[in-house]
Amino acid sequence: MATGRAAQVVTRQVRPILSVSHNEARSRALALYKAWYRQIPHIVNEIDIPKSTKQCREKLREEFAKHKDVKDVRVIDMLIIKGQMELKETVQKWKQVGHVMNYWKETVNKKPTDFLSKFLEGKD
Amino acid sequence: MASRILSQASFNLFKNVSKVSRQASASFSVGPVRNDKIDEELKKVEAPLVTVEPHQSGVTITISGVFFILFQEDISPVTGIPEEHIKNRLIRIFKPARNTMQSGSANTHHWEMEFDTRERWENPLMGWSSSADPLSNLKLSFASEAEAIAHCEKHGWQWYIDQPKTKEPKVKNYGVNFAWNKRTRVSTK
Repeated sequence: MATGRAAQVVTRQVRPILSVSHNEARSRALALYKAWYRQIPHIVNEIDIPKSTKQCREKLREEFAKHKDVKDVRVIDMLIIKGQMELKETVQKWKQVGHVMNYWKETVNKKPTDFLSKFLEGKD
Repeated sequence: MASRILSQASFNLFKNVSKVSRQASASFSVGPVRNDKIDEELKKVEAPLVTVEPHQSGVTITISGVFFILFQEDISPVTGIPEEHIKNRLIRIFKPARNTMQSGSANTHHWEMEFDTRERWENPLMGWSSSADPLSNLKLSFASEAEAIAHCEKHGWQWYIDQPKTKEPKVKNYGVNFAWNKRTRVSTK
């Protein structure tokens, strides 16, 4: 059994999604971050969520930091497109309170990690 | 109400910003997806396609003489698959078995992948079998082993290959029992 991580990358041609260089992708990411950052006070004002502007900005930073190690320009572009869609959905109120609160995942029970809580849960 | 107007105004500002895409001065724009401007610009460069080729530390992208290095092609941040189903799953890549009721080998000439088995239980009322695993019934087939591996690598899954057992065909011929050079003849000489 050869458990895999032997990346065999084949030469092929791909089309860029938005950016043709890493710097361009970076500036797009920064622009998206700024757009979110500036919109957050209004989001907090408009949508009835039990979060402050500061908490939302912390979450924003966290969401961006989650992908800090992404190197592929096309993946960065895709993330930017998705982020922009999310922003639009939030601002236009296509997202409801529950959808916005889903960024915090407060209602998700964490899976047990240590032996005793796994045992008490009755399954792995 | 004033705040509402304000927020609308700021959003409109953002919308205007996003319209100004891919201009040298507007480096802050996010921009819509692959609009016509991009295509035009790519045509100008004469190399609209980007070559992805292997490099010592990963993958190099070349666009009309400009290089930059990627470390691995990994689309897991954008697939939407939950992290627990990327990091904790092991994939078996295998060739499906032949139908034991038939001697033909149809439907075995491709490769498939499947995820490791998660907890299953029986529905206490109806006896149906249940599982909480969203990937348990996923069946993907590939023309070759390499394609399956590439797919797993791209998604960031751990995989292993279940090599099919090859069987040497036995000679099933009554006549060989009486071959001239095999000492199997028992009657005359």
